[in-house]
Amino acid sequence: MKARPYSMLVPAWAALVLLFLVVPTVVIIYSALSPSSRIAFPPQAITLKWFGNFFGHPQFRDALVNTLLVTALVTPVSLAIAVPTALAMVRRRFPGRGLLSALALSPLAVPGVVIGVAFLNFFSWTGLYTGFWKISLALVVITLPFAIRAIVATLEGADLALEEAARNLGAGRFRTFLTITLPQLRPGMLAGGIFVFVEAIDNFSTVVFLTDMQTNVLSVQAYSYIRDFNDPTVSAMATILILQSVVLVVLLQRFAGFDKIFAGR
Amino acid sequence: MRQVPVIWLIWPILLTLGLFFFALLRFADTSLLHQIPGTAMFEGPRSLVNYTETFASPLARRALWTTLVMSLQITALTIVMGYPLAYLMARSPSRLLRNAVFFTLIVTFLSGGITRAYAWMLVLGTTGPVNALLQALGADPLRLVNNRLGVVISIVHFVLPFFVLTLMGAIRNIPAALEEAARSHGATRWAAFRTVTLPLSVPGLVSAALLAFTLAISSFLFPLLLGGGRVQMFANLIYDKIQSSFDMPAAAAMAVIFLVFALLPILALSVIRGSLSRRFGGTRR
Repeated sequence: MKARPYSMLVPAWAALVLLFLVVPTVVIIYSALSPSSRIAFPPQAITLKWFGNFFGHPQFRDALVNTLLVTALVTPVSLAIAVPTALAMVRRRFPGRGLLSALALSPLAVPGVVIGVAFLNFFSWTGLYTGFWKISLALVVITLPFAIRAIVATLEGADLALEEAARNLGAGRFRTFLTITLPQLRPGMLAGGIFVFVEAIDNFSTVVFLTDMQTNVLSVQAYSYIRDFNDPTVSAMATILILQSVVLVVLLQRFAGFDKIFAGR
Repeated sequence: MRQVPVIWLIWPILLTLGLFFFALLRFADTSLLHQIPGTAMFEGPRSLVNYTETFASPLARRALWTTLVMSLQITALTIVMGYPLAYLMARSPSRLLRNAVFFTLIVTFLSGGITRAYAWMLVLGTTGPVNALLQALGADPLRLVNNRLGVVISIVHFVLPFFVLTLMGAIRNIPAALEEAARSHGATRWAAFRTVTLPLSVPGLVSAALLAFTLAISSFLFPLLLGGGRVQMFANLIYDKIQSSFDMPAAAAMAVIFLVFALLPILALSVIRGSLSRRFGGTRR
């Protein structure tokens, strides 16, 4: 008989921590479906009116459209910059490689508010006043480390011999990249893309400095709504985001596998 | 094998980083100027007056202190709550259990900051389920929001998934056979853990705790929503400065000071990392 590697106290404590992690999610879904803004238990009725309110509210609708446009730009751009960077960082030896690796991840260490005010200052100096471009540019800088990290992790596990074989068999550089390297990168690009996408939707601390009257985004709009109103419309929005993250996690597990993405980082 | 020149691969990142660092340098320069009264513009001559004013301001000093103390509290709580969970995920023989915990962590992690900040406002609010439960049990309701407690709880919740996922990778890289060997030579479970796995996990624990501290010190949304204006963390002070007076040079000086405090632990770590891995042996590489 093989003994368990840990005492039963560990799972008991872990179960409590998991409960702590889950409670807010459960409460917010519960509140999104309940008819009054006070959380009553047991539930009196179930309603979808807060979802209707979310999609019918003109400011939320504008913010949703802007957020979708921003993510549609930021996600592919961030990945397009991250893929060659990761290739260079993992596959090449060149002077300054270590420095580049450190600098490429450095936006992670800078507080969002500092990045936000710094870009606000920078954009007013350059005379860039379009909210959409300001937000997108800042988000590319912020999300790049997520994409680079995920792709580097995949590349480190990829088999270099496959590429050499393809080249030896006469495939061109471009064809080798398309048929061998890119498919090998797919799990990393998926994971990186998901992190970029989620951060681009969720970022508040930087973006709050860059929105304007014409361009609001979901996170900032949700904040103003919470400040001014006391009803579960934001719960409805949050429920949609939670459902979205469940879908993304299933995708991630199905096509990349948790174990691979979060293996020794 | 002929390859494309490296510069073809890295020019986009160089451009992006160039933009980022230029914006930061420009910002640092702005911190040396001063605002033209009544406008949003600023002018020279350059001086350190914004820095001396920030350090002289009791409000800023208190906010800096509060931020540091709260970040340490949050990091400590995160370690206590997260270590067993990370250990369980790294060592549990049950794939189902591991995947369930993974799923919970990543869904929590991906559902975003706004979602969770609002959720905690509901959970901890005066009419929320925690207080309803307390009242049903005959206890007095507790004040859980608009104070430090609510802010700390919500930030711990935000930081935990990052911490657990980082630490789990490090623990998983420690061969379980080492602990089993200690056990088969008669060590109790606790002794085997304390003398073998725990010391070997120290480098990973330090990185994960540092990540927790960095995330905690930068928090802005949680004190904004759960602090009810009573909890001033440093990021919020900078935001208020911009909102109230649009005094960019003063805000810039505060941001530079804040950045130094946020980066100090990372710099300190790279200094002590060498001695750590000599003492405990690296978990990888």
